[in-house]
Amino acid sequence: MSQLALEHYLAVGAIMFCIGLIGFMTRRNLIIMFLCTELMFQGVGINLIAFGKFHNNLSGQAFTIFVLVIAAVEASLALGLVVLLFRQKNTLDADAWKELKG
Amino acid sequence: MPLAAATAPAVQPVVILLLCAAAGIGTIFLLPGKREASFRNIGGLILAAMGLIFVALLVKFAASTAVGGMNVYFWAFAGIALFGAVRVVTHPRPVYAALYFVLTVFASAGLFILLWAEFMAAALVLIYAGAILVTYVFVIMLAASSTSTRVADVMAEYDTVSREPVAATAVGFALMGVLLFVIFDKAADLPVYKPAATANSIQPAADAGNTQALGYYMFNNQLINVQLSGLMLTLGMVGAILIARRKVAAQPGVVMVPEMLSTPSTPVDDNPYSIPVTGTDNPRAKAYPET
Repeated sequence: MSQLALEHYLAVGAIMFCIGLIGFMTRRNLIIMFLCTELMFQGVGINLIAFGKFHNNLSGQAFTIFVLVIAAVEASLALGLVVLLFRQKNTLDADAWKELKG
Repeated sequence: MPLAAATAPAVQPVVILLLCAAAGIGTIFLLPGKREASFRNIGGLILAAMGLIFVALLVKFAASTAVGGMNVYFWAFAGIALFGAVRVVTHPRPVYAALYFVLTVFASAGLFILLWAEFMAAALVLIYAGAILVTYVFVIMLAASSTSTRVADVMAEYDTVSREPVAATAVGFALMGVLLFVIFDKAADLPVYKPAATANSIQPAADAGNTQALGYYMFNNQLINVQLSGLMLTLGMVGAILIARRKVAAQPGVVMVPEMLSTPSTPVDDNPYSIPVTGTDNPRAKAYPET
């Protein structure tokens, strides 16, 4: 951290996480909603790697590798679910499944 | 830490909250909705202006503390990443949103390189921009092609109208304001870690780079987790196949026979290296081929 402070990277990660959160709540397309989840993963990854650099060890990078693994598994399962839901109602609108609210 | 010596926080919390509120209003305008394009342009301008003011405050503070010049690469990568993120959320067309996400991934890889995480940058580009995004674009195309009866210029209603933009943006930017306030207020108080000469350090040997070091660390300290993540990938693959497969109803009276080649492959000539030919056009087809 000779040139840049830790908090700048943390701020970028936090802003990216919040933008992804807003997108997840406002967008109605199922695919875009899961894309916004990936955006949140991205912000968390920046946070983890910045802390790893700050602590001068490799735990942050190792953790980010596992986050990537989880993101890949989540993407495959979520897209499978999206395809399944799209076959049921022939639309990608998340509001078409309002009755699941109970 | 550069901010440890400073008494005043980098940015006043009131300023952070005001900037977040204004940026939230800009985002509300910018989200897809039934408004004219001029409103969305105004929203984008407001958001960009708030971001510039924030950056200017940070740069001014950093210059005043004389901790050395701010890294121009950091600002460029962070700006591109956040611009791409905003466009992912606000672009009404899904394919463009996916492409802007690729832009965000590349800029984040640049940030990772600035943090001496070269292997993570490469893995990010490979996995996110290469694998996950291709899957997303495939599903987008799959969904778009089956509803191609409508004109291509007419976008679906669920893409052009947001759901509760005001409430969601208020919540998101409130969270962002609190997070930024805590980060800029408290991050300077964190204890500074000296470079440790342990096996866990970033450079275990003088000639080993980050990738080698990460490999040592992963397979010495995290071996069980590596195996578990491999198991989880396998489980995810099996689950995705199970979820997305189409069940074929067996029709009564029809015996389902697995498809076979009509004729077994036969060699063209006696040369053992020639490629076998499938079908009945082969003049030298034998009734009972040896292979």
